Amino acid sequence: MSIEYAPTICPYCSCGCGINLVVKDGKIIGQEPWKEHPINEGANCPKGKNAYHFIYSEDRLKMPLVRKNGQLKEASWDEALGLVASKLKEATPESFGFIASCRNSNEDAYVMQKFTRVVMGTNNIEYCGRLCHSPAAAALIPAMGSGAMQTSQPEIELADCFFLAGVNLQETFPMIARRVLRAKARGAKVIYTDPRKTATARHLADIHLPLRSGTDAALINAMMRIILDEGLEDKEFIASRTAGFKELKGFLSKVDLKQAAEITGVPVEKIREAAITYAKAERACILYDQGMSQHYVGTDNVRNHANLALLCGHAGKPGSGINSMRGQINGEGSGDMGCLCVFYPGFKRVGEESAKFFEEAWGVSNLPTKPGLTYIDMLYKCPYLYIVGGDPMMVIPDVNNLKKALEQANFIVVQDIFPTEISKLAHVVLPAATWVEREATHTWIDRRVQKINKIVGPPGEAKPDWQIICQLAERMGYKDKFNFSSSGEIFEEIRSCVPQYKGITYERLSKTVGGIHWPCPSEDHPGTPSLFLEKFNTPDGLGHFQAVEYKPPAEVPDEEYPYFLTTGRSIFHYHTGVMTRRTPKLSDEVRHGFVEVNPEDATKAGVKDKDMVTLRTRRGSIEAEARVTDEVPPGLLFVPFHFPNSCANVLTISVLDPSAKCAETKVCAVRMEVKA
Amino acid sequence: MKGDMYIARSSEEEIAKEAECGGAVTSLLKFALESKRVDAVVGVKARDGNRYDGVPVLITDPKEIAETGGSLHCASPNIARFLKEYLDGASSMKIAVVAKPCDAKAIIELAKRNQINLDNLIIIGLNCTGTLPPAKAKTMLKEEFKVEPFDVVSEDIEDNELIIRLKDGSEKKKGLAELEEKGYGRRENCRRCETNIPVMADVACGKWGTTDKDSTFIEVCSEKGSQFIEAAIEAGYINTEQPSDAAIETRKKKDEAAIELAKQWQEKDFATLEEMSNDERFNYWFEQFSHCIKCYGCRDACPICYCTDCILEADRGFVPPGEIPPHMMFPLVRITHVMDSCVNCGQCQDACAMELPLSRLIFLLSKKIGAIFKYEPGMDATELPPLRTVTDQELTVDGVEVTF
Repeated sequence: MSIEYAPTICPYCSCGCGINLVVKDGKIIGQEPWKEHPINEGANCPKGKNAYHFIYSEDRLKMPLVRKNGQLKEASWDEALGLVASKLKEATPESFGFIASCRNSNEDAYVMQKFTRVVMGTNNIEYCGRLCHSPAAAALIPAMGSGAMQTSQPEIELADCFFLAGVNLQETFPMIARRVLRAKARGAKVIYTDPRKTATARHLADIHLPLRSGTDAALINAMMRIILDEGLEDKEFIASRTAGFKELKGFLSKVDLKQAAEITGVPVEKIREAAITYAKAERACILYDQGMSQHYVGTDNVRNHANLALLCGHAGKPGSGINSMRGQINGEGSGDMGCLCVFYPGFKRVGEESAKFFEEAWGVSNLPTKPGLTYIDMLYKCPYLYIVGGDPMMVIPDVNNLKKALEQANFIVVQDIFPTEISKLAHVVLPAATWVEREATHTWIDRRVQKINKIVGPPGEAKPDWQIICQLAERMGYKDKFNFSSSGEIFEEIRSCVPQYKGITYERLSKTVGGIHWPCPSEDHPGTPSLFLEKFNTPDGLGHFQAVEYKPPAEVPDEEYPYFLTTGRSIFHYHTGVMTRRTPKLSDEVRHGFVEVNPEDATKAGVKDKDMVTLRTRRGSIEAEARVTDEVPPGLLFVPFHFPNSCANVLTISVLDPSAKCAETKVCAVRMEVKA
Repeated sequence: MKGDMYIARSSEEEIAKEAECGGAVTSLLKFALESKRVDAVVGVKARDGNRYDGVPVLITDPKEIAETGGSLHCASPNIARFLKEYLDGASSMKIAVVAKPCDAKAIIELAKRNQINLDNLIIIGLNCTGTLPPAKAKTMLKEEFKVEPFDVVSEDIEDNELIIRLKDGSEKKKGLAELEEKGYGRRENCRRCETNIPVMADVACGKWGTTDKDSTFIEVCSEKGSQFIEAAIEAGYINTEQPSDAAIETRKKKDEAAIELAKQWQEKDFATLEEMSNDERFNYWFEQFSHCIKCYGCRDACPICYCTDCILEADRGFVPPGEIPPHMMFPLVRITHVMDSCVNCGQCQDACAMELPLSRLIFLLSKKIGAIFKYEPGMDATELPPLRTVTDQELTVDGVEVTF
């Protein structure tokens, strides 16, 4: 008998917590704390505590599947890849779209974008970062020079004030909530914006601002106005490190606080308390998430929080700044690797110059120079789709409409670890190895690159994602450009063309518990936990104010659809639920979808706790179990998006942020009916 | 026989030189395997040579035993759980297990609950005055000692000081009190721990009472231990001599000093709780538990918890599922189920995602219950936990009230 504790990193959110998997005779039989890991020091959240069970779920994809006479049938790799290659050869660059994932490793993501650009000749390569944190890049690159998290996780503890902007930290990033609690024990104050009275509001926040969904910009304008009125802006910081203050100040002089209170539903005094607390802090840290970004004004929202940070000098210090909280294991990395239609690897903007650089690096010619289509556009416009590790049929707004479009597609390849809603529409389904079934690196929330080792083999004939793509490239005549025999070889190529990763090696990662933060320019460089300490990464090195006018949500309640709807997550589940719904201990906690209803609304609508209700919007309807709770205020309903049987995004509205192309999945108008 | 004491050293020169304290423990383990007294050895090794990453290992090849040599002060793997959960509680295999006092106590508590078969175990106890949380210890070494953690080749806790030895042969030391004041130093439970010499094991091995760094003081703590040591001496694995009276006295004094320090920590830690009024306590604990995210880390790490079908599981219908913080019955039931048997191993607190002072609370309760029932958890496998044996009548006796 052999028994071993194998160290690895949790597969769920983007914190990157360490765990020990207990491996007995080649099978994972348990999980134990890994106390040396600097992120979690041996503790884990509920998902992290139940990290591996899904990989042994009966319905793992084990063989390629090919649609024959309307049915998906098992096929050999040879047949499946042969079919994919022949179909993709039919596609023009404009008609092909590749959707990578936040679940991919860096090596997978790198190979996928290279395949799309080199073999298919298009920049139609995206990943699900588009659906949550694209406003970060759109807003923060002009404001500060990078959309990545600015501080490191451990340094968060240095802050004496937190602004949790639409992030239910206690449920969605518990291991970061732990750091906030540590800071609170030393006197730090926590401001929290969220319409819902979540566990974060009840037990972590000092000042909860239950603003109406989508009114962040109005709130921040009011806060900034108050800060200026009180003379609490950081004049020295503004003078030495920013540009555009005059314009902002002029704009803010027109802001009416009373009106802001009306728009947001938050009394002026409460806004003032938050503003003064934030401004007076020594070192304040804005942590934000989808609550702010999944609006058609997501970019504006991020811009305005950046304005706030710059106004008070709360940036460019460890533990401060405005920090996008990427929610997935490779939320940062898949973007770093260039799975975005506007960026080549290393955030080199798509254009002549970048194309030339990569033509030289890859030894190819004619790389695409025009930006590709964004995620949602691609789904509607590309008849040839290759979708890896994600389920658009769960996360794209107005799913019913999407389904109609996808049913018309010529050819859809889905590569995943389980059957999903989108795989039901696929022509070919390819089985992928997951997480500890291959060796790879990921890049976590704070630009932290860590390596995961292969611990067990994949089931059946499943293979690592990068290997599948390389084999496909070979069949399409590009063997020499995809001649990788290990993930390590891919990583070496990444290092050669992504400057942020240049100093990071597999060898260093295997010796560095907790990994290395990019940018890491050389092998003797320790990595960079905090950004912008000396200057911002903008062309002039300054932080740029960008005044933001408040715009109301695209769809607001009316007589027919009288409630606001917002969507979000539960601590016990993860995104589309593919992994957590297959984890008994998590699934036992929350077995199916639900809708939170305020008791007042429930009484008015004749809804009792645990009643099945129908939720209807202009786009479609779902059924869900009512949870009558004052976690939501009157007039707001909340639905988590983890459950296909109560798919929240059937209801949501497909209005996109004009610059980031992120969808407004956080607010629309809805009607509730008791199921007859 | 039980109570015998030895100063021991490995009879193999190489082991004596390489391993700590003359390699007596390494040789005893080797003897256990080679004499086929056991099928396997369970020890702790520094994974990939990293002394901040101690993991339990199951060894059947005597050649691999050397990997477990040397004390790892920055490691606190859950040995009792390793035996129970992954080695079937030694039900089908004879094992020599190396255990710190809290490990040995936890093993005994699990044996009482029929989760570990003591007949199949030889418990080689190691003296312990505390372990350090590894992640924090590395920060401490950088911040307080100004050294690179991986330059450290050994640590020691002696006379209230933490002493580290570096690659280049130099030594640095700092007072534990000063370090612990700053939040560094030993794990919180270790500071309060009064059991430095694992007399509940079969043999208790340590350096106290030795005059040089080249030998181990062994106290025989059970008949099984006695037979084992005598056989090892007989087979020529270890060389022994009788400790002098002075050596025995020194060992006793060191133990007493460490116990005294632990009592001071207990007083200090418990005072903050005990000084509170009932209302304040209630509010304090409810506030603490309001941060609970129901990860079950404390339960799963607790070596005493063993029910395969735990009442707190979401599908049992006792605590409403899917809520955080969970209903207050969740922490309360969890605590009452183990509070008579807490061995103060601190694993619950190490695993708590929200860093709740669980071990402080449960150990305090355990102390109170222990005083009422004259019971000390983890010392004697034949004494059953009070909450299992208490009668209704006893519960109505005046003064049998446990509050927190």
